[in-house]
Amino acid sequence: MQAYISGRNVNLTFRPPNRGPVRALQNFDIDIGEGEFLSIVGPSGCGKSTFLNVLLGLIKPDSGDIRMDGKPLAGPGTDRAMVFQEFGLLPWRTVQANVELGLELKGMSSDTRREVSQPLIEMIGLSGFEGHFPHELSGGMKQRVGLARALATDPNVLLMDEPFAALDAQTRDLMQVELLRIWQTAKKTVLFVTHQIEEAIYLSDRVMVMTKRPGRAKKIFKIDLPRPRDYEMRVTPEFNELKLQIWNELKDEITV
Amino acid sequence: MTDIRALEADIAQAADSGAPGRSAWYRLEPAILGTASIAVLLVLWEVLPRLITMSAGTKLFFTTPTQIAGTLWRLFATGTIWTPLGVSASGFALGLGLSIVVGLPLGVLIGRSRTLNAMLDPFITAFNATPRLVFLPLLMLWFGLGLEMKIVIVFIGALFPILINTYEGVRNADKTLINVVRSFGASEWDVARLVVVPNAMPYIVAGLRLAIGRAVLGVVVAEFFGSESGLGVMMVQAAGRYQVDVVFSGLIVFAALSLAMTAMVQVLESRLSRWRPQRAGGE
Amino acid sequence: MSDEAIPRQSFTDKHRKVLLGGLAVAIFLAAWQAVFLVVPFNKLFVSKPDLIWDALVDLIVSGDLMRDLAISAVPFVYGFSAAVVVGVALGIVMGWRERVSYALDPIMTIFYASPLVALAPLVIVFFGVGVSGKAIIIFVLSVFPFIFNAQAGVRAVDRLLINVVRSMGGTERDLYLKVIVPSVLPYIVAGARIAVGRGLIGILVGEFFAASEGIGYAIARFGDLFALDRMFACIFAIMVIAVVLTEGIRWAERAAFPWRVGQ
Repeated sequence: MQAYISGRNVNLTFRPPNRGPVRALQNFDIDIGEGEFLSIVGPSGCGKSTFLNVLLGLIKPDSGDIRMDGKPLAGPGTDRAMVFQEFGLLPWRTVQANVELGLELKGMSSDTRREVSQPLIEMIGLSGFEGHFPHELSGGMKQRVGLARALATDPNVLLMDEPFAALDAQTRDLMQVELLRIWQTAKKTVLFVTHQIEEAIYLSDRVMVMTKRPGRAKKIFKIDLPRPRDYEMRVTPEFNELKLQIWNELKDEITV
Repeated sequence: MTDIRALEADIAQAADSGAPGRSAWYRLEPAILGTASIAVLLVLWEVLPRLITMSAGTKLFFTTPTQIAGTLWRLFATGTIWTPLGVSASGFALGLGLSIVVGLPLGVLIGRSRTLNAMLDPFITAFNATPRLVFLPLLMLWFGLGLEMKIVIVFIGALFPILINTYEGVRNADKTLINVVRSFGASEWDVARLVVVPNAMPYIVAGLRLAIGRAVLGVVVAEFFGSESGLGVMMVQAAGRYQVDVVFSGLIVFAALSLAMTAMVQVLESRLSRWRPQRAGGE
Repeated sequence: MSDEAIPRQSFTDKHRKVLLGGLAVAIFLAAWQAVFLVVPFNKLFVSKPDLIWDALVDLIVSGDLMRDLAISAVPFVYGFSAAVVVGVALGIVMGWRERVSYALDPIMTIFYASPLVALAPLVIVFFGVGVSGKAIIIFVLSVFPFIFNAQAGVRAVDRLLINVVRSMGGTERDLYLKVIVPSVLPYIVAGARIAVGRGLIGILVGEFFAASEGIGYAIARFGDLFALDRMFACIFAIMVIAVVLTEGIRWAERAAFPWRVGQ
């Protein structure tokens, strides 16, 4: 498999003011294939979200080589888009204006923006809510908007930072199904950070377990469950076997 | 905890709109009680001085609502109030305008720059804690008794609420939202336009509301102690001549000025905060 | 937290804010002093830090400053205490009884919106320039923050917490001591912080008007006498008092209500 995104020896230390430096990533290696769905699980604060921000181009690592499609990464770009944990919707913008944010920043005219946003809003099932403000939506609806906004600029890579962590369990299950549906039709490369092992297995082609801070890749599991996946798959012995294996890797890294 | 309270509010709201029979009284009760208490107060004020016998000297200090209303009417009908009102209003408007022009950009600057914030903090803390009135004798010396002095005292009074609220609003800009726009390749200017300023807007408006009160106060004290004309001067002179009704008329005009301005800001506020679940406070 | 967090930090890093602030004040004072090397100095129009310092020392040594402050403090204490008692009582009733707040809210809003300072001439003419006139002005100005904050505090008492204490068999007394007072008190103290500033305005207004003693009178008189160094010294004294009072209350708030971090 040819790596679409590759990171080699990535090091990053935070130097917050008024506190000591914190080493977030140390000799971090990763390879992601084109169109692959890769999940990262790891203990809180292990640097997994930090790495997403590095890929997004918001944080520059201290050292290391990160390439995408063979080219070194330089700053934010519309070939990548992030779905944020707390949704990250601008509260003073309507659903439609939020979905169109990236297009607007690209300098697209409002008519063209509408041609893009309309089908997306339809796809996420929010037709009729275009003029609503985020505070008028439920958590699940908000994250649909977040997803539509990320898809609007038609990126090759979707970065998802615990996108469903703020949702209740049932909404979460529904959103997972929906995400798989969108991923299968849109053919994006997805890097998905989560705390939930079950979610990672259910969605992914591969699951990476990270060590505690400073984060490194500890082990990568290949998920050979057939696609399309359905909900019942979660109660099969294979699924539970994987869950146990990943948990065994992960539990040593967790300190309470 | 918050969720439960929000839920309770929802239920209360639902109950409010769902029971048409009882809701009329529920909706009107605050208005009825509020108006009634004001009415009672006015009636007592009107009647009591007539029932209680007072010495002529004490009587000088009392007036009644009808008397005040009559005086107010006379002041406007004869047009005698317009000149002093104009003088006071221009001091108010120019001082407040200047404080906005200075306070907004300065607030944004110290909200975005840690260094500038650290350097200006001692001055802002000291001046904000100190009643700006202490500078009045000094300002009278420097600027005389005219409009300039009034503008300056209004300015230093109204500046800090605007400055501090702008700063708070800018500093509280959500890091995630800034990251969101940056991830789409936004420039610093885009970040300010799309996130920082909209986020600071409710704070700024709240600051503006406070500033209006301070500005009116500034006009009043400036005119009490060191001015040649204006509504406050009219009031002090009236107090010296025991024209209590004129003093109260002046007070009412000042109160009306600040209430009208506050109402305008509230309209602005509700227009600007359609996106908010409820109004934000914050001093 | 973790062994990766290296706690070593330079002194300048840790105290950056304080150092920068101190530096800015020093630069300001130095510039103020130095500007008169270039600009001609007119003693009747401006002053400079060294002269102000001398005047301040002078006023302190002679006891004049202390006497004026002590005279001003008396009406302040009376007016402010009355504001605490009346304001908190009224605020709590308004917060507790919805009907009372319906009845009084509009009146309070009107009073609060009116520049009540404007009644100062009347109060002074009626009550004279002594303690009572000043105390009344101070009371009128500083009572509203207590009313509004006590009301808001009572309204903000979390009903869930009341139910928690009740469900554990708490009595009415427990309810007050364990839930209501701890919830309301921070609001009242925060109100006190605002009220202090307004009370100081009350002193100055009262004493600027017509007084023969007190700190406000001293500032006005030194102004009339063109004794700018002494006037600045008095202004500085008021600034120090104002900062000590408000920041002191802020500090007490943080010390007494540590659970209310970040507002």
